[in-house]
Amino acid sequence: MEDRRKQSGRRAFLKAGGFVAASGALGSLGALVIGADTGGSQRKRSRWIKTVDRPTLGETTADYKRFSGKDIFSIYMPLKTQRDGAGSFEAEQASKAKRLAEWISEGKPGFSLPDQQLSVGAWTVMHSARPGTGLLSWTRPPVRTPAEPAAQRYKASPEDMANTVKAAARLYGARLVGIAPMNESYVNQQVPREDEKQKDIDIVFEDVDVPAVTDTKFVIPRKMKWVVAIAIPMDLELLSRAPTALGDAASALGYSHSAFVVSSLAVFIRGLGYEAIPCVNDTAQSIPFAVDAGVGELSRLNKLVTPEFGPAVRLCKVFTDLPMAYDKPINFGLVEFCKTCKKCAEACPSRALSFDGEPSFQTKGPWNNPGHKAWYEDSYKCFQYWQKSGSACGVCLVSCPYTKGNQAWIHEGAKAAVSVAPATDGVFRIMDNALGYGKQRDPEQWWKNNSSSGRRG
Amino acid sequence: MTMTNGTDVFTITIRKRPWWFWAVAGLWLLLELLLLQTAWASVDEGEIRAATISGIAFVVMAAAGVFGWLRRGRSQKFGDSSGQLKDAATSVEDQEQD
Repeated sequence: MEDRRKQSGRRAFLKAGGFVAASGALGSLGALVIGADTGGSQRKRSRWIKTVDRPTLGETTADYKRFSGKDIFSIYMPLKTQRDGAGSFEAEQASKAKRLAEWISEGKPGFSLPDQQLSVGAWTVMHSARPGTGLLSWTRPPVRTPAEPAAQRYKASPEDMANTVKAAARLYGARLVGIAPMNESYVNQQVPREDEKQKDIDIVFEDVDVPAVTDTKFVIPRKMKWVVAIAIPMDLELLSRAPTALGDAASALGYSHSAFVVSSLAVFIRGLGYEAIPCVNDTAQSIPFAVDAGVGELSRLNKLVTPEFGPAVRLCKVFTDLPMAYDKPINFGLVEFCKTCKKCAEACPSRALSFDGEPSFQTKGPWNNPGHKAWYEDSYKCFQYWQKSGSACGVCLVSCPYTKGNQAWIHEGAKAAVSVAPATDGVFRIMDNALGYGKQRDPEQWWKNNSSSGRRG
Repeated sequence: MTMTNGTDVFTITIRKRPWWFWAVAGLWLLLELLLLQTAWASVDEGEIRAATISGIAFVVMAAAGVFGWLRRGRSQKFGDSSGQLKDAATSVEDQEQD
């Protein structure tokens, strides 16, 4: 009897062991089949991300012209005055400053002094990066060893060159990197001056060997036919506290990381014996280059959405004459999903995003660059909400169902299903809401989470 | 197989589980694994609602699986949900009549 009991126990143990092994095997198999990319690195992208010859959305027509280069702030200011009368912009700014000061005194969650200073601190690197100078210098000589090895140009096949540059970019902090061909129409017409009374500086393409920055023009050599398009993920824990100063800190940190990555990569490329121009938001439109390089797809937000991090990324780029193999645009079913989803448009506090079923050529104002199909946004409404909320908002970025941590396998499965079976789009949109994704989290909890005894939430 | 030691009669019936049983068990296991991993990862990502729903779904699925397993264990024949065992002695009597 005792022997039989022992045998029975051993059998149960073996059975349990078998189940555990089977679970592991099935889990691994599932990850292998759907090509799970838990780390979010582009070295091995998920299999449901298909490359295509032409972008799914955002492809330009003959009407597409180089954008002025003015940021939304410089467009908003005269528009506000025009719409609401003289002095309205200044009054709005004064009211915002007063409100922010009051919130500091009250210790309002998300706008307390530490909250606001967290954002200010995160801007530090980016604020010292002006186009053409300092970190973003177009001509700074690379650091070389005494033997001057970079006097000789590094030579390899275009594929190897691309891999080398991507590896370096990843080391410096890029998470998604793609190579796109230079398209002059994506480059801004001008670099805005800090002093708005002065004339903006023209950006021109010339047949020269090296880039040049003067008081009258920024010169990009025509031989720079390659663009390294880079995406840097934003801190989701911070971003999920938007619209507050903590959410702003996520953007600020993304910009500062971008400045570090492109400046480091530019020095690396110059060290290989080639020219490089590092840019963050300046000099050219980052989104079309990122679309062409297969970093992501254009979305209902009229921003780039990446398969790995959704729209919660900051984009930057480096122009170079280093010959590299180009990447292709991608299709992961986003445009079809955006047609069904509309979660960002519903979540937008200022109703600035389009609810249209289909993208169109109809722009909403001077902040849009016409000549390509898109869901154009009303940046005026968006920016007006920035002033009202005392933050740079970011609610749309958090609400997107693609903005998720990369730890749960089920997210990878859902994205794969959306990519291969658009009929499931509606189901996943409903599930995203039911599971409570995209909601604002408690700002005060961020500090508790990041203290030594913190719990996440 | 029927055995007798003179006074007692034992009937040992060995039946192979059908292929669909293993398919259902595999699917159940995969789903359980997925739910558990989702709950675990959601806690780590601070997605409390997703973690709670996944956790509850995991427990419900686990309970359903265990209940189903036990119910099958009591049944002599697959597909026979009554769970009634045919008396061994009756089997022997049947054989004798033959």
